[in-house]
Amino acid sequence: MFTQERTQTRKTRQMLASGARFTYDDEPYPTRLNFYRDPPALEISIEEFEQFALDRMQVLTALQTAQMRNLPPDQMDKAVGDAIRNQELRQWFLRAECALFRYRFEKESLKEQLEFLEKQNLTWKKVSDDDKRLLKDKLKASSPFKAQNVDDETFFEVDFERVCGLVGKRQVYIHAGKAFVPLADQVVLVLDEFRERLAQALEVTGRALPRMDEDNRLMPVLNNINKQYLGREFTTSAVAGEIQAQDVDALKIHMPLCMEHLHDELRREKHTKHGGRMQYGLFLKGIGLSLEQALIFWQTAFANKSPDEFNKQYAYNVRHSYGMEGKRTDYTPYSCKSIIMGSAPGVGDHHGCPFRHFSAPNLRAKLAAHQVDEFDTEDILGLVGAKHYQIACTRYYEVTRARMIGGSPDTLRGGSGSALASGQGAGSEFRVASQEQIEHPNQFFEQSYKLMQQHKSTAAGGAGANGDQDMEAAPLDPTVKGRYTYRKVGGPSSIVNHDMEM
Amino acid sequence: MDIDTNNKTSDDELDHMFDMDDSNVFRADNPWARAPVESLGASASDLAADSPLLLKLFYQHFFPMKPYFQWLNYDISPTPSRTFMNREFCFTLHDETYIRFQSYKTMDEFRQELARLCPAKIDLGAIYNIRPKDKSMVRPAAFIPVSKELVFDIDMTDYDEIRTCCSGGDVCTKCWEFMTVAMKIIDVALRDDFGFKHLLWVYSGRRGIHCWIGDERARKLNNEQRKAIVSYLEVIKGGTQQGRKVKLPNTLHPSLSRSYDIIGQHFPSIVFDSQDVLTEPDNWEKVLAIIPDDGVQASLRSEWEKSPTRDPSKKWEDLKDAIGSAIAAAPKKRQALEHVPRDIMFQYTYPRLDEKVSTNINHLLKSPFCVHPKTGRVCVPIPIETCEEFDPKSPPTIPMLAKELDEYDAKHPPSENEPKLQAWQKTSLRGHVEVFERFVKGILRDVAEKKKMESSKSLDF
Repeated sequence: MFTQERTQTRKTRQMLASGARFTYDDEPYPTRLNFYRDPPALEISIEEFEQFALDRMQVLTALQTAQMRNLPPDQMDKAVGDAIRNQELRQWFLRAECALFRYRFEKESLKEQLEFLEKQNLTWKKVSDDDKRLLKDKLKASSPFKAQNVDDETFFEVDFERVCGLVGKRQVYIHAGKAFVPLADQVVLVLDEFRERLAQALEVTGRALPRMDEDNRLMPVLNNINKQYLGREFTTSAVAGEIQAQDVDALKIHMPLCMEHLHDELRREKHTKHGGRMQYGLFLKGIGLSLEQALIFWQTAFANKSPDEFNKQYAYNVRHSYGMEGKRTDYTPYSCKSIIMGSAPGVGDHHGCPFRHFSAPNLRAKLAAHQVDEFDTEDILGLVGAKHYQIACTRYYEVTRARMIGGSPDTLRGGSGSALASGQGAGSEFRVASQEQIEHPNQFFEQSYKLMQQHKSTAAGGAGANGDQDMEAAPLDPTVKGRYTYRKVGGPSSIVNHDMEM
Repeated sequence: MDIDTNNKTSDDELDHMFDMDDSNVFRADNPWARAPVESLGASASDLAADSPLLLKLFYQHFFPMKPYFQWLNYDISPTPSRTFMNREFCFTLHDETYIRFQSYKTMDEFRQELARLCPAKIDLGAIYNIRPKDKSMVRPAAFIPVSKELVFDIDMTDYDEIRTCCSGGDVCTKCWEFMTVAMKIIDVALRDDFGFKHLLWVYSGRRGIHCWIGDERARKLNNEQRKAIVSYLEVIKGGTQQGRKVKLPNTLHPSLSRSYDIIGQHFPSIVFDSQDVLTEPDNWEKVLAIIPDDGVQASLRSEWEKSPTRDPSKKWEDLKDAIGSAIAAAPKKRQALEHVPRDIMFQYTYPRLDEKVSTNINHLLKSPFCVHPKTGRVCVPIPIETCEEFDPKSPPTIPMLAKELDEYDAKHPPSENEPKLQAWQKTSLRGHVEVFERFVKGILRDVAEKKKMESSKSLDF
């Protein structure tokens, strides 16, 4: 009897984990879609809970990555389980869950969708035919692709706050605080409902968690899951060692275009707006500028500000980004993805990715200034046109670095059989191989820097005493492909244990 | 059920609220001490615009404390509400020290603090779940902003790449037209599209404008919703390295169609007349750079170089014609070129918003009725109905106010019969404060109606 029950529970759990439909009489989850209103009434072992939670995190992370890459995710049906206590993580979790829900919802057949909606008692006010006629032109102009035939389309009238996504993209007609949502955008409404309910549930769970602190079985698991997500960042020792403020100018030659541009504009304007300070400041931190040196660097850079002004207006931010102020997050340098997808530069801003945010003529001029020849320039602009910004940057790296070490760009670009790759041995290690690309400005810098060091040592008399070490230093860690985050390991001053301070 | 008849709070009732004598509601700790004003007298104009002494004078006599408190209190009752008590105030002192997370339990406490510190600037932050002064007593995560007015900040420096009459901190009536367009476009969008009613436009004291939206619904927006509104309104995109900053779809959203009409009214005067966009080669090159067709660019360039003094409106026609004929010659260019003139018009006139100020609920924004430290002018409200007439050089400075007050008192010797006036009522600040009072009154009317509705509802049970 007991065994049978166990078996039964296990079976249920397996089905839960595989996302399959329940076939029991009482059907706790009749449709595959779920608003997660009722928790699974099962007994779950700690190990299984951890497994489910990790699976879920994996799904969500995979989905997020897939979203960023604009790829259709394929393996989505996995486990249930959540464990989020931190407010920020909760937000992330909420967004990720919504994305997953949306994906699933859109994948279901119309019949399944309707069936699901019916079960949820969702009632939205329909726009009357009279109103529709009255607003016809406006409705049509607001969603030109989705509601060509306004007469046949059903519209719902909801508060604009509920369809932020559509409002922000100007894809819905709004009047007097009401948004008129076409049936085609129904998923947005469903999602909003889903988000609201899940957010409430999370809030409740979040409040329950402090009590779990006492449970020394569950807490380590929860804490760890937390870190599994955040903890992917890996540490790299700064290739150039501890950098002094006055070294930065000399290191400019190893910087990717985005950082070099920020540096030049900083020198020119003697100022940089917030977005630029963050992007460039964290990059410098990543290449080995300590907090003390960063303060010196920025103060000297903002030459028009008196030391007093600097201390009052900017020093806090610098310290903040080194985790020495406020909530004491030790921020990591931005990756290419976050620079490309992050907040686009506005008026007077210099941050962003030149390949993404420069107009073609300006990018051309920039490339010309780096002696990129016409052929390569066209190549790069072609990649930019196809929105392959990181590949464009990779190509820029190859072309310019090849010249740096005296090889011709052709041999580097040419791939196999090039003199550099096979013969001298120095260049090939540091080429960004065809299947890899620049993922992080700090990666660009490190590779360039190492390439130069190696080149110097080979030129000075071959791979001598310390050559081996250098040779192996370069390749990227394949396990973290796609999410490089660099953290500098510095002197004792920069090692701050945040958990201890919380 | 005669809720309807009771529901409306009459204007009289609200008027009365503003009339209430100080002593009834607020402790009359300041029974019109004229001494400092008189002792300053002639010397007031000699002091630097931001001297603490002048500011003390201003905060004690000219700052419209009562409507200001009523606004931030968001309640018809004069008892301080949580909305007031949990509001973050931030002061900038004369040595440029910021003091953040200040909060006050009563209006008097706030008033005394103003007189004591004489801040060069007051910023308003969000309303938190607990009093900001108690912030350090809780975990950082337990200190949460819960509401704040939706605000907008439009600064002339963001127009520097298209503005030619002035640069940096300067403004003149020519470039002020950018602000006029901005107010007209944003105001109507917020009212008609989002249904907000209580908008206060305020001159920032030097080169920009702020907008405060006091509707309850606006105050309750979360960051995501604020962001949605901002991107709904935002059209200009891209940093300094991007030439073309506006790329709108073929069919304009109804909201943008309306903006386009407003833009049409101002584009000729801004672009042809005041900003010399098409009269100087350096400037017209920027316009040409937006056109994604080298042929069109080249033909216009050579045409205009031949006759640089050609009337700007004619040059604009040239541009439209050149694009028209390029499309006629190669119809597949239609998609790329057809709406370029329209997008140029947007780029040169549409409002440029400072996104961060609006999208972060806990972002600070300078309070109305501050005195700008550089210009010395009071940050006065701008009535939207007559926003076209506003002159950024017109708001008074403290020495001006002191002088006006003395002049008024000289003409009107105090008499027993006449009601006592507040100092600002005797000066040119009066009109500005009245605009503010109308805004506050509108909010309080809503609050009163809501209260009545709720109490009648609870009676029903």
